[in-house]
Amino acid sequence: MKTLTLTIDGKTCAGAAGQTILEIAQANGIEIPTLCFMKEVSPWGGCRMCIVEVGGIPKPIPSCATPATDGSVVVTKNERLDHLRKLTLELLFSERNHICPICPMNKGDCELQMSGYKFGIDGIRYPYLYPAFPVDLSGKYLGLDHNRCILCTRCVRVCDEIEGAHTLDLGNRGVKSQIIVDLNTTFGASTTCTNCGACVSACPTGALFDKDAAFHGALKKCVQVRTTCAECPVGCGLVVYTTDNRVVDVFGDQDSPVNRGHLCVRGRYETWAVPRERLLEPMIRTKGKLAPAPWEEAIAAIRAATARLAPREKSLLVSGRLTNEAARILAKFRSGIGRVGMYVAQNEAAMCGEPDFAPEAFARIDEADAVILLGADPARLQGVVAARIRVAARKRGAKLVLLNVRPSDLDAHADISSRMIGFESAFWKRVAEVLRGCRRPVLVYGPHAMTSPGIAAMEQLLAIFEPDCGPTVVALPSTTNALALAAAGIEAVDNLSHWLTTAPVRALHVCAADEPTGGAGILHDRAVAGLLHSMEFLVVQAAYVSRLTEFADVLLPTTVWSERDGTITNFEGRVLPLRPALTPRGQAREELHALESIYA
Amino acid sequence: MSDQPKVKVATVWLGGCSGCHMSFLDLDERLVDLFKLVELTSSPITDLKEIPPVDVGIVEGAVCNEENAHVLKTLRKQSKILVALGDCAITGNVPALRNQKDLGEVLARGYIETESTCAGEVPNEVVPPLCAKVRPIQEFVKVDAFIPGCPPDADAIWYGLTELLAGRKPQWNPSNVRYD
Repeated sequence: MKTLTLTIDGKTCAGAAGQTILEIAQANGIEIPTLCFMKEVSPWGGCRMCIVEVGGIPKPIPSCATPATDGSVVVTKNERLDHLRKLTLELLFSERNHICPICPMNKGDCELQMSGYKFGIDGIRYPYLYPAFPVDLSGKYLGLDHNRCILCTRCVRVCDEIEGAHTLDLGNRGVKSQIIVDLNTTFGASTTCTNCGACVSACPTGALFDKDAAFHGALKKCVQVRTTCAECPVGCGLVVYTTDNRVVDVFGDQDSPVNRGHLCVRGRYETWAVPRERLLEPMIRTKGKLAPAPWEEAIAAIRAATARLAPREKSLLVSGRLTNEAARILAKFRSGIGRVGMYVAQNEAAMCGEPDFAPEAFARIDEADAVILLGADPARLQGVVAARIRVAARKRGAKLVLLNVRPSDLDAHADISSRMIGFESAFWKRVAEVLRGCRRPVLVYGPHAMTSPGIAAMEQLLAIFEPDCGPTVVALPSTTNALALAAAGIEAVDNLSHWLTTAPVRALHVCAADEPTGGAGILHDRAVAGLLHSMEFLVVQAAYVSRLTEFADVLLPTTVWSERDGTITNFEGRVLPLRPALTPRGQAREELHALESIYA
Repeated sequence: MSDQPKVKVATVWLGGCSGCHMSFLDLDERLVDLFKLVELTSSPITDLKEIPPVDVGIVEGAVCNEENAHVLKTLRKQSKILVALGDCAITGNVPALRNQKDLGEVLARGYIETESTCAGEVPNEVVPPLCAKVRPIQEFVKVDAFIPGCPPDADAIWYGLTELLAGRKPQWNPSNVRYD
């Protein structure tokens, strides 16, 4: 790598050839004001806040978009530059309706406002235009008020370069320019928006905002807690913003090596912006009706009902969302309970047979020249994986082969996309043709690869490659901590009715943890509903009211993701921390304390 | 100090909510110190209507109607230094929200379509005609100093006025300025 040296504000600074003036200045501790710049995406050079003077060039130039040249002399701050930056800010303020008192990003969350403060802008010398741009509130989670937009295109760039969706772009010309969704439709009508919310995170003003966070308090004044998303096995880093023991907003953690600040709709919104009915106190069924009871009574009721049963007549069924610590504690009193099972997705148990972590899976996908998806559905379940695959295919030209059960938006970017039924030899020839010459292929498989057509397809795929340059194989389960819990010795169960009928179970304790469905997912197998009805005694320990709670003899309220402590292991094998951002609501308690006092 | 003639000040309340004047009263005990140096002439606070020649004219509110424009121009003529107090005077702020609508729509919504109004009509006498657009005061007259905020808090007003009394133009920075 060629190094170069330049002088910035009198300081000798070293950098690498290809780096921009801004990058080198920042690396050397020299601050240059910016607005449209985001280090995660390509430079735009649109706002002109980062202008600098370079010796020999008469006009100021944008440092974010100008590669540094060896020996150049750069000035980042003087009267002329600050005057020009002030004019730029005044033009931005006067162009649309930046009315701070009625904006949700007021109180310090707006970079335009902060820039105004920094440059001491008190009055605007240009006439205000007061345009009447529309406001799009049709999105499920996010709103777009064009009146607050400064056209920095940070949203356009993250949507294109990080989520890979390219839902957003610029439309119209000149003073009528505006951000457009798809071909000038609304968020509500968009066919490509994934609701990942990256555009809102990127927006420096209040143009894009989270509807459920707007006017709920300034983020700058919130308590920030770094934790891990427990919705899927990816384990994205979260920053949870709270005030008064409630979540105000959730963003991706820029420092997380897993997601680098990016999230999907599940972690960004579904955990907090979807209203769900919490279970807030223990309940005991008396005379056919569930009635609130203190914890001690509920535990006593369970002990009384289960004490006379032999261990083999008692089963414990846990969610795959439990933590690694939970697995260790469960092992302590396993002898008192006949069986401990973990319910997982359809066909997922076979993935847990020999837990198979894929270290540095994201790094492999990021450098892959071919990605093959087999029986996995990241577009729906692990959105951050889907984003990386989209970017690999769209931005880097990686080949994309999809052998999946369900269609998704990834089909549009695939070289080959086929449902997993009846492949013929001509098909495999076509796949081999597409993958010919690929040096860094990655094969990502999910639970549906564990079916007989899936296994046959896996064999065919692996046979395509020469033995010494086979693909990096990545197991992508759909249940959060299934691989680690299975490795800790908890049996993975994907055929629940079979599991329930192979032992003389009279009492069943279901730990649904904080599953958004309240554990009702196990009722998808209709036979299970019947089996639960005929169960002598059923304990349901869950965070949310659901169809499952109707079956329970005793209900125990448990904590939700934002109240939990412990660790989970992601699909790459990284052990990631869950940190409580809130104190538990009502009488909710983490399940392990209760389990210990009942069965230990 | 007591021998020095007091600085004459007039204030006006144009299209605004009077919050800036309320915030001025929030100076509390500092008002005593201020009035040792300042004589408040015409103002919504003194209820004196005729604006005499003054050293400092202070404007709250945007220009929403023809009377606002007339009062503003009169104050400019009578003042050596004109100060814009608060966001409505400086940016148009909340009153300027109506600029997104045609004036006819705004008047109809206010006087005819209001849920509690029966057989309403748009008034055409006594009240001054509305301007087509609400505008900040510096689009009409020269403004010498700004005190931003909605409303500016008492500390910001104190800083702005004491700087002016000391013969300096207020210099705003992140520690003393807010737009809300």
